Amino acid sequence: MTREEVFEKMNEVFRDVFDDEDITVTDETTADDIEDWDSLEHINLVNAMEEEFGVKFTMGEIVALKNVGEMADLIMGKL
Amino acid sequence: MNEYRYEDIISKEEDKENFTKAEFTVTVTEDMMRKFLEITGDINPLHNDASYAREKGFGDRVVYGMLTSSFYSTLAGVYLPGKYCILNSVESKFRFPVFIGDTLTVSGFVKVKHDATKTMEIAAQIVNQDGKKVGKGTILAGCIDE
Repeated sequence: MTREEVFEKMNEVFRDVFDDEDITVTDETTADDIEDWDSLEHINLVNAMEEEFGVKFTMGEIVALKNVGEMADLIMGKL
Repeated sequence: MNEYRYEDIISKEEDKENFTKAEFTVTVTEDMMRKFLEITGDINPLHNDASYAREKGFGDRVVYGMLTSSFYSTLAGVYLPGKYCILNSVESKFRFPVFIGDTLTVSGFVKVKHDATKTMEIAAQIVNQDGKKVGKGTILAGCIDE
């Protein structure tokens, strides 16, 4: 899977979790850019990413992430 | 009350036979309906006026769907995981009407565990005394750290 394909799927997950079809995430997107991205939605987002890509994260990996680009890299490293 | 910690829980994804599950039974009473009305102020006649409910094709007044769903709170907070539960979300579907006097078996099992977020997805259902699945739900819960 290319990085673009990973981003495309991640976008779908974001839109689904935040119930907002207008969301388009980039490498630099952070929780500050999406109004509803609070601690509960963060849990939902991480869980949904695991399910969508069939991967498992550790808590350490998740807390170290600075933006969506790093999340994409983390996912790609597990595929 | 059960006292499962996150680490004690086995999901069905991990072990298809020996996964963590729980169930309890409860009978819906007139008093529960009265208290639910008092708390919520939901005066809808389908739940409060037997003749109206019969007119609309139901055998009797229908138990509030959210009253039935409130037993998911008990399932998570008392049984699975129990004492250390942090309830994150509940998705609930009402499949068939419930009536006063019905005895419901509320059950759930852990479908998936998410170690990164220390949360578990619990597949839950509510079955009446006739074996009919009247409701199903998905619960997301975590555990308070030790």
